[in-house]
Amino acid sequence: MLAEPPLGLYVHMPWCLAKCPYCDFNSHGLRGELPHERYTAALIRDLERAAGPLRGRELATVFFGGGTPSLFPAESVARVLTAARRLLATDASLEVTLEANPGGMEIGDLASFRDAGVTRISLGVQSFDARALRVLGRIHGPDEARAAARAVSAAGLERLNLDLMYALPGQSAEEAVADVEAAVVLAPEHISQYQLTLEPNTLFHARPPELPDEDSAAAMQEATAEALAAAGYVRYEVSAWARPGAECRHNLNYWRYGDYLGVGAGAHGKITRTEEGRILRTRNFRHPDAYMQAGDPLEELTEVAPRDRVFEFMLNVLRLADGFDTALFESRTGMPAGVLAPALARADDLGLVEACGNAAWRPTLRGLQFLNDLQILFLPEATDS
Amino acid sequence: MKRIRNFSIIAHIDHGKSTLADRFIQTCGGLADREMSDQVLDSMDLERERGITIKAQSVSLNYQAKDGETYQLNLIDTPGHVDFSYEVSRSLAACEGALLVVDAAQGVEAQSVANCYTAIEQGLEVLPVVNKIDLPSADAERVCTEIEEIIGIDATDAVRTSAKTGLGVVDVLEAVVSRIPEPEGDPDAPLQALIIDSWFDNYVGVVSLIRIVNGRLGKRDKVRVMSTGRSYPADRIGRFTPKMTDTGLLETGEVGFLVAGIKEIDGAPVGDTLTLESNPCSEPLPGFREVQPRVFAGLFPVSSDDYETFREALQKLKLNDSALHYEPESSGALGFGFRCGFLGMLHMEIVQERLEREYGLELITTAPTVVYELATTDGAVSYVDNPARLPQSSQLDEIREPIILANILVPQNHVGAVIGLCVEKRGVQKRMQYLGGQVSLEYELPMSEVVLDFFDRLKSVSRGYASFDYEFCRYQAAPLTRLDILINGERVDALSVIVHRESAYRRGKDLVERMRELIPRQMFDVAIQAAIGGQIIARTTVKALRKNVTAKCYGGDVSRKRKLLEKQKAGKRRMKQVGSVEIPQEAFLAVLQVEKK
Repeated sequence: MLAEPPLGLYVHMPWCLAKCPYCDFNSHGLRGELPHERYTAALIRDLERAAGPLRGRELATVFFGGGTPSLFPAESVARVLTAARRLLATDASLEVTLEANPGGMEIGDLASFRDAGVTRISLGVQSFDARALRVLGRIHGPDEARAAARAVSAAGLERLNLDLMYALPGQSAEEAVADVEAAVVLAPEHISQYQLTLEPNTLFHARPPELPDEDSAAAMQEATAEALAAAGYVRYEVSAWARPGAECRHNLNYWRYGDYLGVGAGAHGKITRTEEGRILRTRNFRHPDAYMQAGDPLEELTEVAPRDRVFEFMLNVLRLADGFDTALFESRTGMPAGVLAPALARADDLGLVEACGNAAWRPTLRGLQFLNDLQILFLPEATDS
Repeated sequence: MKRIRNFSIIAHIDHGKSTLADRFIQTCGGLADREMSDQVLDSMDLERERGITIKAQSVSLNYQAKDGETYQLNLIDTPGHVDFSYEVSRSLAACEGALLVVDAAQGVEAQSVANCYTAIEQGLEVLPVVNKIDLPSADAERVCTEIEEIIGIDATDAVRTSAKTGLGVVDVLEAVVSRIPEPEGDPDAPLQALIIDSWFDNYVGVVSLIRIVNGRLGKRDKVRVMSTGRSYPADRIGRFTPKMTDTGLLETGEVGFLVAGIKEIDGAPVGDTLTLESNPCSEPLPGFREVQPRVFAGLFPVSSDDYETFREALQKLKLNDSALHYEPESSGALGFGFRCGFLGMLHMEIVQERLEREYGLELITTAPTVVYELATTDGAVSYVDNPARLPQSSQLDEIREPIILANILVPQNHVGAVIGLCVEKRGVQKRMQYLGGQVSLEYELPMSEVVLDFFDRLKSVSRGYASFDYEFCRYQAAPLTRLDILINGERVDALSVIVHRESAYRRGKDLVERMRELIPRQMFDVAIQAAIGGQIIARTTVKALRKNVTAKCYGGDVSRKRKLLEKQKAGKRRMKQVGSVEIPQEAFLAVLQVEKK
């Protein structure tokens, strides 16, 4: 039976000081003044509209993502959070993450963010190597990254995440490990680690830098994983490492196919309507101007068909080292767990998943390494024709 | 009979046969101008595209000659490729004469030579015609000399024409009337009619193009197909003008069509003799032969859902192509498909292309193979057309491979390269003759080598100038063995090949190397081995991929990730799963490309 899952709120802040050449997110280089007043007003309108029908549901997490949300004044964050608290039930455990970039011009006033209700800062460090940062088009240097990380602790924020990338142009395995070690020294509770890829509609895609080959990239992943594990971090998701208990609850909710409101330009939301037995997806206008101008910023509302729920659930949950149990599957998708049996058996044969405990499955280490191959097994057969 | 002329046009591809035929039709008023589409006789799209004729077609024209008489000119088109030499010989057998059309710029080519010899052997009057004299590079004198030197016929009176501009076309028709003999034959003798070609028409069933050699055939006569002994009432009889025109009667010497309620093309085989049930002749006409496919390949639908469509498509093609053979084949690697037999490589390509184009099928084709003759220790003789089915050598006394006699015509400056190629292909030289600027070579070659890539190689070593024609000679014992490819220890039946023992090691090494390049890295090591019997002669490994790439993606949006995965899945679907290994389609044809490096 479809049950009401935990609810998160994602708030998209679509501006950066400069667009990075690898980034394919909905972010825009800032030209002129940041229209924070107009945008914050639009966010609140959007939130009121989106949260209205959910009145009374409990909100567990908020995530300000971007772009560079730390470019906004803390007051904007405070106003959005106040509106969220007004519209939805919250308690003291509310996790509020804000993405920030380490440059002096973009880090923002961390203490004010803390006062506004932010509990967690996610810093887009990417690397501690000056040359690598330049190639990536980052506007900060290694020292600024270190200073920003220390400032987060000094400001009394509970949690810190550092975003790192590996397989950077010209990078060696030693350099990738050095990046991880430099991060570990700063003692963040959480480290996210991604391989640099060349995505369509980016500058790097048009003019690709020379990247390490796939075997070198794999070697870096393995070496850095060893370093992270040695430092006491646990890989709880394919790309996310945390000290036990410090996992990102907002992201965990995505990965467990929970609900979330998507507010802001281009934001996506997913809401379960248990009384109707439906799951809906929402998507807002992508361009900030279109978003701010629209009376109703919702561009698309689609229902997730039952068989697509199965795939979407697996797509997400297989990223998690602890996997899932069938009770979670049934309550989140409304589908009987039996439908998974053939694909799970195939995945088991390939050594990509393993049973763990009663009616529970998790990806093996091999399954995490070959996550795409694993996820593909759960794609529905040829979509409606 | 006096005013009937039956003739063919012998020409190399592109030397202008079809254009010339179109001019004849136009000159004789066979079609109104608006009905003329280019190259009327090549009616299949594919024929038109490739500029080759697959089915022999004919046109019957009334020509008002300069002597004031009206002549019935029957032009019998001939298929234009090496694979169809038997069909060519049957078309020629229906004629008293042939036009040898040679491109004034290109000169004589081997294919024309072979067909020309067939015509001369069958007693036809061969009239040389030099075409395309409007081209700036035309050299009619040189071409006439070549005709005399290479073919050995007098080219003094060769007609010069340009089918494209229409120049000299009437001269050609006048030559046909004055120099090609009238048909002989006895109108009062029992009917003997030669089946020149048969094809399947959706509305009327099998239509046969026939030549009345003796006697006459009328509507409602009961005709007997001599090779099968079966009889059919003649429903429709007439001539192609070029439209199908009923006349109700065909007289001695005439060429026309017969529709007799025959449902399958095998019911009216090319080269067979028709006679009357009521007054049969004693002997069939000479030269009939059952068509034997010489090249075989497994064809498998990429998606097993297409199997039924594929079967129906083959059935339909077979209606019109008696040379096409097929029988169900089941491969461990490729699933269910058909083992198909073809006359040669071009025939195979044509069938493949039609299946893909006209029936929308996506097919995997295994490397083509010839038919081997096996002598087993118990004295029995059998044939194998599938390497995977070659029995263990202990049970075999001898394996015999088909040998062909190849006629190659090549300009002098490329002869060295061509000889080198023939030697590499285990050829034995039978004859070599300098003819003008050209050299005529005769080689006996194992057909398996010709199937492999001979034609392409010949073109490339001679910069496109060599031309080639072949005929089957005999089976000859050879030290042959089966070379197997094992993927992760499992023999992949569709990749087995029969090779010469002495080249087995090299082929094995090349083949595993090629496989290594073609098989993408997977989650585990893929071991590729080449083996003869139980002995591994070459091995290599496709190293396992160590991980997938997990890029940063926005957790709220699943659609992009999904699209990415769907694309990857589609890519996998285009591969064939052998055990747990995914093998791309190209790998199954890799055997062919081994020596192309």
